Amino acid sequence: MSQMEVSQQTEVRSLPRIGSKAPQFEADTTQGRIRLSDYEGSWLILFSHPADFTPVCTSEFIAFQEIYPELRKLNTELLGLSVDSLSSHVAWIRNVKEKFSVQLEFPIIADLNKEVAQKYGMIMPEESSTETSRAVFVIDDKQVVRAIIYYPLSTGRNMQEILRLVKALQTTDKHGVATPANWKEGDEVLIPPAKSDELAEERMNDKSLNCIDWYYCTKKL
Amino acid sequence: MACVNEKGQLTESAKKLFRAIGNQSLTPAEISKSAGIPLFKVRSSLREMTEAEYIAEESGQYRLTSKAIELLEKQ
Repeated sequence: MSQMEVSQQTEVRSLPRIGSKAPQFEADTTQGRIRLSDYEGSWLILFSHPADFTPVCTSEFIAFQEIYPELRKLNTELLGLSVDSLSSHVAWIRNVKEKFSVQLEFPIIADLNKEVAQKYGMIMPEESSTETSRAVFVIDDKQVVRAIIYYPLSTGRNMQEILRLVKALQTTDKHGVATPANWKEGDEVLIPPAKSDELAEERMNDKSLNCIDWYYCTKKL
Repeated sequence: MACVNEKGQLTESAKKLFRAIGNQSLTPAEISKSAGIPLFKVRSSLREMTEAEYIAEESGQYRLTSKAIELLEKQ
C-alpha cells in the first residue's frame, strides 16, 4: 500500500456542526460556477437529494420551488446538490418544467466527485454509498451553520418546517429570544432564563411578560 | 452563468448585467439591485466575466471593458 493510500484511508474529516463556519467550496451548478462565499450577506439553505429523475426528489424540488419566493423575502437562497452530472440536472429541470409546469429557479450543484457532499457529511454509507441523503444545512448571512436536518432516502422533507426554522432563527437573532415547540410566526416567544435570583425576581414582577414561573416567561413581539 | 454562447453572442443574463453596469463603476450589491439579479449570481458572473476580460475590477467596483462594450454594441 502506498503512502498516499494509507493517508487517504486514515483521513478523518471534521463535519460541520451547528455554530461552526460552513466549509467553503466552489462547484459547478446549473447556474454557473458558484462559491459558498458568493452567498455572504444572505442566508442559504444548502440541501442534498439522492438522485435526479426520482419521485420523492421531484416532489421535493417542486415543493422547494413553491417556498422559494417566501424564502427570498427572508433574504434566504436555495442551493441543491446531488452526485448527478450537470447534463442530468439540466435534463431534469427541463422535464419538471414540461411535465409539472414548474420552473426550478434555484441552482443545483453537480457534485460528481462528491467533494461538497463529503465536506458536509451528506452521504450515509450504511444507507447508500453512491447517493447523498436528504440533508439540509441552514447557513446564516455570516456563513455559520445554524441548523442541520437529515432525512432518509424514503421520506420527503417538510417545507413548512424548513420555512419555520429559518423564521425562528431569524427571530432569535433579531430579538434575542427563543421559540417554543411548534412556534409559528406571530406566536409568543420565550425569554431566555434569568441568570440570577435578582433577575428572576425582576422578571416575575415585569408586567410586560407572561411568566408561569421565573424560568418560563413568554412575550408577544 | 455562461456570459457568451457558442455563437459568440452575449446570453440574456449577461446582457442584463452589462446593461445594469452601463458606463458606471458599481459594487456587486449595486449591480444586483439595479439588474434585479440575486447577489450570489452577480458575484459568480462577475468572477467569470472578469476572467474573460469583459469586466474590470478596481477597489471592489466593477466596470465594463472595451471588449464588453464592443460585444454589447454588436448585439
